[in-house]
Amino acid sequence: MKEEIKIPEIINKETSRRGFLKGAAMTAGGAIALATIGGVRPKEVKAAEAPKVMQRYLFAERQNCTGCRACEYACNIQHEGVVRPSVARIHVYKHKGVVDIPVICWHCDDHPCIAACPTNPNSLTVDPKGNGIILNEKTCIGEKCLKCVEACPAQYVRVNPDTGQPLMCDMCGGDPECVKACVRQSGQPQGPCLIANTLGFGVNQAYRNVKPVKAGEDMLALLFYPSNGGRPVTGKSGKGR
Amino acid sequence: MTAPKGGYFGKILEVDLSKGEIKTRPLSDEVARKCIGGAGMGDHFLTTEYKAKHDPYAEDSFIFIGVGPLNGTYCPATRASFVNQSVYTGLTSHAEVGGHFGNEIKWAGWDGIYIKGKAKKPVWLSIKDDKVELKDASKMWGKDTETTDEMILKEMKDPYARTAVIGPAGENGVPFAAVIVERFRAAARTSTGALMGNKKLKGIGVRGTKAVPTVEPAKFLQAAKEAEQLAVEREAWQGIKRWGTGGLLEQKQWVTSSLITKNFQTTWYPDIEHIGGEQGARTFWKRHVSCNNCPVHCLKLGVIREGKHKGLIAEGPEYETGGLLGSNLMMKDFAGMMAMIELCDGLGIDAISTGGVLAFTTECVDKGVLTAADLDGIKVKWGYADGYLELIKKMAYKEGKAGKLLAKGVRKMSQEIGKGSEAWAVQVRGKEIAAHDPRGDKNRAYSYAMGQCGGDHHEGDSPEIQARWAMVNSLCMCSFVGGYPWAKETPPVFVNMLNPLCGWNMTSEEYWATARRIITMERSFNVREGISRKDDRLHKRFMTEPLPEGPKKGTIFTAEEEKKMQESYYKYYGWDDNGIPTEATLKSLDLEYLIEDVQKAKKNL
Repeated sequence: MKEEIKIPEIINKETSRRGFLKGAAMTAGGAIALATIGGVRPKEVKAAEAPKVMQRYLFAERQNCTGCRACEYACNIQHEGVVRPSVARIHVYKHKGVVDIPVICWHCDDHPCIAACPTNPNSLTVDPKGNGIILNEKTCIGEKCLKCVEACPAQYVRVNPDTGQPLMCDMCGGDPECVKACVRQSGQPQGPCLIANTLGFGVNQAYRNVKPVKAGEDMLALLFYPSNGGRPVTGKSGKGR
Repeated sequence: MTAPKGGYFGKILEVDLSKGEIKTRPLSDEVARKCIGGAGMGDHFLTTEYKAKHDPYAEDSFIFIGVGPLNGTYCPATRASFVNQSVYTGLTSHAEVGGHFGNEIKWAGWDGIYIKGKAKKPVWLSIKDDKVELKDASKMWGKDTETTDEMILKEMKDPYARTAVIGPAGENGVPFAAVIVERFRAAARTSTGALMGNKKLKGIGVRGTKAVPTVEPAKFLQAAKEAEQLAVEREAWQGIKRWGTGGLLEQKQWVTSSLITKNFQTTWYPDIEHIGGEQGARTFWKRHVSCNNCPVHCLKLGVIREGKHKGLIAEGPEYETGGLLGSNLMMKDFAGMMAMIELCDGLGIDAISTGGVLAFTTECVDKGVLTAADLDGIKVKWGYADGYLELIKKMAYKEGKAGKLLAKGVRKMSQEIGKGSEAWAVQVRGKEIAAHDPRGDKNRAYSYAMGQCGGDHHEGDSPEIQARWAMVNSLCMCSFVGGYPWAKETPPVFVNMLNPLCGWNMTSEEYWATARRIITMERSFNVREGISRKDDRLHKRFMTEPLPEGPKKGTIFTAEEEKKMQESYYKYYGWDDNGIPTEATLKSLDLEYLIEDVQKAKKNL
């Protein structure tokens, strides 16, 4: 079992990719050998994988959202320990009962929310590691202000009904739980909707300007009215009832 | 009476529409543990509050919208359960519906909604946590379900609220009217729509912001995550993820030979390829929709791309809607079938019963028992969507001769028409059956004939599975996600979740006893209404007409099989030969209060 404790050290030591692979192969081999002798379960062998890269941006591929809200649940579990979507830092808006639109913090590089915060010191700060927005609950003046809610171009920021303070996405310190939940629930025939990345590509700056309702309208037009320039054909909803 | 420690809020919302009163009814831990919630809780109210031979339209008749302890927690795929005495059959009935409606009720801090009385003018119920109001719905009255859904969401000024509404069919008292939840989901087999229409309750909008109290959160979360993993890994769900239940249309045709066709005349319908899951996937579906936290996303939304119904957004085909409004009507026109399904959703009418009525009508026309004059001159023939669309509209509004006749349902129609038409009036205890032919899929006979709701496809295919399903419906779980992989295990996965959630020490034995209690409660209610062994049977078409073609050609459901089915069922639940729960059984299940009623009903048989 002593071998196992060394695993992270070996990974940290790696200098070149090649050397890293070699090391990983060695430890994995060692762990498997241990598994046969010492009864370590194969699950624990996974510990030999590279540590998770710190993610800095969140994306939503809206076409893939099924509206299961697993992201909200995962967010709640991470932050509150129990499911309570009304205080989740990510939310899914259902547009006209047809399309589900994930509403996320795009982690803008210019941080309009932080710029709008009037308190001194600023109640909102950026987590240098994971690029998340951290709220200082002691200095935030909550309901009286909510300038950050107004400033958010994506209409993302919601207010915690208990404290009156804004709910901000902290990226779970660089390893967002919502993305993991989305990956777990997806597949057959479409992939996950949420993606985390280290680069923003500037796409987040463009996406953020689309409000949830507009995103819903876009998605309806894109998916459901393919042959008529985005408009229904027969009557208001095409039903003729 | 002790208050529940966790899993429940310990209060049920009670609405009296006659007086316009809104009250809180406390829920004790004892009752919660005995009846769990959802269907079981509804059955508890049905058996304790109604006297024998109750009139389903009476002033005191209630609708119970139940949720279970697992609603609103991390547990995936929870639902809501609509329970009432069916105005269609007069028997106990419950319909489960997915989506997020049930969870919102829970997050609003309620363990269920109990609605009684009759409003003088149309109202709708707005629930925002503890703020509950009855609001004027006169502007919504007469509108279809889609418009009503939009209007309620607009008035609630909350984009995250969820709705349950009725359409014109419910308002006009069509006895198989449905409640449409979140625009595309239906709680349809209970006739709750008709009862809501009778009470002048147009809809319910609900939004909650609370969290469900949990006794041991960490332990519960671990159990719920294990359960979720079982659902994620289950291989059978990969197909449902891809094709929804619509994919079963092909499966039942080619594999089990139980796809209903031509008003249950045969199970051989190769043309299913024009209306089945693969056709949907290739030409129609655009969006896969999940219930809460569920990996299966079985609801499929699509849009018709060309032809007369171009631009129509609709949900399905699911197995039941595609079977009843597709193969059972010999449809080859996919767009036409989808238009029918969407029309049923829009008008708020049960697609299963509607399909049964239309197929029966068509066979009547085929056999010359009904003529065009009886049907307001509407052309009715197999596979002709336009005629069927006309009939559905007439039915929902009870318009003309055709509408008035068809809105009665198959059993009453055949009684009125006579001329031997009961030979093809396929129903069980007055309700049209779903889309599985019991000659091809013999276990399904349990669900239709022995299941207490009668004619339902989701009651369970053996005595033991019915016990599982009773728990699944009372926990308000999806029968796919929760029913198959979870309920089977011993001790069931549910027990591992319930104990840390509610602070119970439930064992496997108690779990199964609770299941038997719920089924026996339902049975006792039905026995009071005059049900016994004579009613626990399939329609005679399945017992006299062999399948004319297909891999199971020549098969019938024999009298011997029926006898075996009934006897094994009564034995499992401890009922007598006539299907009446015995005194000892009722005692052992803490249902002493039913002994007198059941004995009285037994004498009157």
